[in-house]
Amino acid sequence: MAAPGPGEYFSVGSHISCLTCLGQRLQGEVVAFDYQSKMLTLKCDPSSRKPNLHDVILINLDYVSEVDIINDRTETPPLASLNVSKLANRARSEKEDKLSQAYAISAGVSVEGQHLFQTIHKTIKDCKWQEKNIMVMDDVVISPPYQADNCKGKEGSALSHVRKIVEKHFRDLDRQQQWTERTDLLLGSSSGQREQTCCWEAAVDRDKQTC
Amino acid sequence: MRMVHVLTSLVGTNCELKVKNGMVYDGVFKTYSPECDLVLDAANIKSPGPSVGLRQEDLVDSIIFKASDVVVVHFRDVDFNYARKDNFTDTAVGGRINGEHKEKDLEPWDGGRQQHMVSGSLESLDTDVSNGWDPNDMFKYNEEQYGIKSTYDSSLSTYTVALERDNSEEFLKREARAAQLAEEIEASSTYKSRVALENDERSEEEKYTAVVRGEREEKYIPPGQRNREGMSWGAGRQNSPRLVQSSSGPPRPGLHDYTPSSGADQRVVNGGKGATSCPSPSSRYQSGPSPLPPRAATPTRPPSRPPSRPSRPPSHPSAHGSPAPISTIPSRRMSSEGPPRMSPKTQRTPRTHRVPPGSRVPPGVDFMPHNAPGEVSVPPATRSSSSGGTWSSVVSGVHSVTIPKLYPAHRPRSPRQNSMGGASPGPSPQTGSTPVEPVNTSMSASSPTASPAPNMAATSSAEAKDSRVQATRQNSPTVNKENMKPLESPPSINRPLSKGPPSMAPDHRKQIDNLKKFSVDFRVIQPSKTLISLSQLQSKKSKQLPLDKGLEGSEGPVVPARSNKPDSPGASSPSLSSTLCPAPEQNRGPDVTSQGVQTSAPNLSGGAKPEDKEEDEADQMRKSTLNPNAHEFKPRVFTPQPATTPTPPRPQGQPSPSIVMQQPQQVYFPQMYPLTPVSPGVQSPAMYHVQMPHMTLSQSKPYRPVSNMPQQRSDQHHPQGTPTMMHPAAGPPIVAQSPAYSAQYFTCSPQQFTSQQLMPHYQSQAQHVFSPVIQGQARMMAPPTHGHPGQLVSSTTQYGEQTHTMYGKTPLCVRPHFLLFPLSGPMPQQYAHPNTTLHPHPQPSATPTGQSQQGVQHGGNHPAPSPVQQHQAAAAAQALHMGNQPQQQMYQALAPTPPSMTPGPNPQSPQGSFSSAQQAVYLHPQQMQHGYNPSHMAHMQQVSSTFRSPSLHSEYILYEQAHIQSGMVPSHHGNPGHPQMMLMATQQQGGPQPQLAQNALNPIPVSSTAHFSYLAHPQVQQHHQQQL
Repeated sequence: MAAPGPGEYFSVGSHISCLTCLGQRLQGEVVAFDYQSKMLTLKCDPSSRKPNLHDVILINLDYVSEVDIINDRTETPPLASLNVSKLANRARSEKEDKLSQAYAISAGVSVEGQHLFQTIHKTIKDCKWQEKNIMVMDDVVISPPYQADNCKGKEGSALSHVRKIVEKHFRDLDRQQQWTERTDLLLGSSSGQREQTCCWEAAVDRDKQTC
Repeated sequence: MRMVHVLTSLVGTNCELKVKNGMVYDGVFKTYSPECDLVLDAANIKSPGPSVGLRQEDLVDSIIFKASDVVVVHFRDVDFNYARKDNFTDTAVGGRINGEHKEKDLEPWDGGRQQHMVSGSLESLDTDVSNGWDPNDMFKYNEEQYGIKSTYDSSLSTYTVALERDNSEEFLKREARAAQLAEEIEASSTYKSRVALENDERSEEEKYTAVVRGEREEKYIPPGQRNREGMSWGAGRQNSPRLVQSSSGPPRPGLHDYTPSSGADQRVVNGGKGATSCPSPSSRYQSGPSPLPPRAATPTRPPSRPPSRPSRPPSHPSAHGSPAPISTIPSRRMSSEGPPRMSPKTQRTPRTHRVPPGSRVPPGVDFMPHNAPGEVSVPPATRSSSSGGTWSSVVSGVHSVTIPKLYPAHRPRSPRQNSMGGASPGPSPQTGSTPVEPVNTSMSASSPTASPAPNMAATSSAEAKDSRVQATRQNSPTVNKENMKPLESPPSINRPLSKGPPSMAPDHRKQIDNLKKFSVDFRVIQPSKTLISLSQLQSKKSKQLPLDKGLEGSEGPVVPARSNKPDSPGASSPSLSSTLCPAPEQNRGPDVTSQGVQTSAPNLSGGAKPEDKEEDEADQMRKSTLNPNAHEFKPRVFTPQPATTPTPPRPQGQPSPSIVMQQPQQVYFPQMYPLTPVSPGVQSPAMYHVQMPHMTLSQSKPYRPVSNMPQQRSDQHHPQGTPTMMHPAAGPPIVAQSPAYSAQYFTCSPQQFTSQQLMPHYQSQAQHVFSPVIQGQARMMAPPTHGHPGQLVSSTTQYGEQTHTMYGKTPLCVRPHFLLFPLSGPMPQQYAHPNTTLHPHPQPSATPTGQSQQGVQHGGNHPAPSPVQQHQAAAAAQALHMGNQPQQQMYQALAPTPPSMTPGPNPQSPQGSFSSAQQAVYLHPQQMQHGYNPSHMAHMQQVSSTFRSPSLHSEYILYEQAHIQSGMVPSHHGNPGHPQMMLMATQQQGGPQPQLAQNALNPIPVSSTAHFSYLAHPQVQQHHQQQL
């Protein structure tokens, strides 16, 4: 192994920047480097700007140029043991969510419906798409337009509970809507409608994240 | 490494993966390869344009990207702590606090220096006993650091009212009252128990799971090692149970004995029973006494009785005579083994045992001594060494008793028979009648057991065992009584002696007094006998037994020694007295004496026997009611004891007289067994009769030599009835050694003891000889026996088998017996078969042990006769041994009878008993092992063969072994097999084989029957040869 030189060896914790062959500029803290596969892992600031979260970039150094070491560190933090089963479950649940989402989208479910589904799924894992209807616990069916009144099923705690979730979901949406509108008013009306839309989208994203 | 870690922590996150061609895939990161190939699940190509809803058809379940194709993978918003197990790192601690995602400044710990730690240093943590901060320090710290002032009031005035102390009288009074109440509360069992819950240091295992063992059962003794240790051990257990039972009443011992035999299946139980019986000398003695009395009565009476008891008396007398001694001996043994502690007598015997053999012998020795005294009177002639003879006789008696019990338990008839026996005793309170009754009872019991046994075996060994045990108990009591009676009856002296010792019952006491007188005489005789026996034993294989005996004699309270000594002086006549004396002494010893007395008393008074029986029954009932478990154990114990006792006799017999005695006994036993098999009631009698004749023959000779001994008398009577068979075997032994005769008597008695039936048989035989009835029985017997050419032989073998069965019932033997029974059942000669089955087992064990021991001891004394007898005795002993504990129990059970028996047997018993005891012990171990392991059985056989070392004995043994090995091995493997194996090993092969066969399977049973026949024949032949 040749002496670690720039581009060949990266010490964990050092900050580097590089340019991919696709013209993307990447910068971050080295988390790991695999010499054999020439794969470099960087930890970057989170795109969502949420604390304690990071974006991780896996870079194939074969397609990178202009590798610069911004600063170097010798200390290597200890590695924590990982709960593999938890990771596996996350992978599985993420996949299912995505498939479910894709199903809903492909089924032509409205965005509101998709958002509602996301919200309900946060609370109740046992929910799935049935055509355009949201089936919760095989007991409550929420049909378009996905309002609280659309929740049908056997009267009971399950139905009432789902209704509460649905009601809260739309109440939160309304609140976000109001908040964005107010913000728009405060920021000025230049952007107008577009801003509002963006805010709403942001609110939705936030909602998703919180979910 | 870090790459692996990082990528692993990224599993399950969504990512955008850019490939060389600029395509962007979106998916869930699933996994990666060592080459950094990546796998995305639910991946889709991310269209550059505005995001449109994902379409299901766009998703690919999973895509594998080669590392070389990947340019950049962008994972968004990854939480590195998501899968982190350790959440106590600085990052984890400082990262999330109350939902505040704000880096928290962590301060290094200063070791508490800044704080007002009481200790002030880390080291103090180790030495600081205080539990955390002192309250005052906390208050002080808070006050200094935060300016907070505590309002804490130690008097808790806010919550309660302070106690105002004053010196007023009222206050002091109330204070005292409070203290008193506190004391009461703290002294209450409830309080203690609850406190104990927290403070009890015993483990859960100890408190709830551990098997609670008796005092003597302090440590677990492997089956293989139980023979020696187990004997005393089991005896101890058995003794305790038996003691309890015995305490309840004399009858119980007998019952116990029976129970042991019945408990044979349940080795533990049997052992326990045996132990109990042994330990509970009193019980044994009591039971023994009651039995003994009958025996004694029979023995003493036999002469007179024979006439009175046309049918049974003759045979019975002889049987009783021998059985009684045996029974007494067994009981004594039992007592000595287990009881030693319990009863002075037992203790004495134990001591002697300890000293001589040092090993297991003690129990046997004890028995031997006890038996010796009792036996001496009877066997004197037979047994050169009164002690051995008595012991053996006692043992045999025990065996017989146990066997009967077993039989009864097995068969419903047994009860009837018992009742019959009881009735007969009642009717024939007189010498003749009493013996007959006992015999009948025993016969019935045995026969029932035999027939039942098969059934039982077929159906449920366990149940059979239990029932058997109970039945055996009942029977055994009866048998014991009977045996006792016979013993006493044969030699009037014996009865007195036995009575003397027991001194329990008034009537008995009188007899006992007489017996005591005799015992004194006997003692003198016995000592000599014991010495002789000891010497013989030492010289011979019976070494241990002899030693034990000798020890017993020497150590054994004065009685054994005395008895032995007396025996030596006046071998025959003295021996009788000596045997009686020993018994008395033993009886005198706490329980034993009492038992002996009782037994003797019964013997003296014809009615006494019935009473004893009744008592026994009652005892049995009590026992059963009292301790279900104990009962079971008792049965086992009894069986073991019987076995032990039988064994001792054998050894003794072999040493010298004991052999002869044993042979007769064996013969009787066989007969008894055959009878039982043939028909529960009638057949059994017949069988008994047949056996009796044989017994009588052999015994008669031996007894005759012994002459003076009551047993001998009975035997003699029997001999007349059953001259040929008995005589051959007995003759040689007798001729060879008077002690041998005694031994034979003992052995006979042991056999009888082993199988109560035997005892009954003896009695029945005696009766037959004496009276038509007996003849009738004899006829009955004859058929079976006749049916089997070697039935006589077979009978001998049968005796062995019976003993085995008895043993089996007690511990191991029971199952085998059951098996045997079934086997026998299949056999054409069911009766014979039952008997055969039983007999084979008993005989094998009894004969083997007896033979082995006897052979050793007797050596050249009575090669042929002694062997047979020894074999029988050994078989009985083995049977007893088989159930080592069971045998012991048997012995103990016999012991009750033994007391009476002992008086007669004593002469023989000293050596015989010792030898038998020793043998029993040895046998027991072997038997135990056998019971547990087929291989052990084989070993036992070998051992037995070794024991049998005497040429004749050895031959017999070899034959038996061969038989046993051939047939036995399988069966031995089987539960039944073990006993058989034991028996086989110790006893002759014939016996063992049958047992084995029986044990093995139904087919085996058949074969076993064949084996039995073979065995029986071999044995018979052997016996004949020996006798011849």
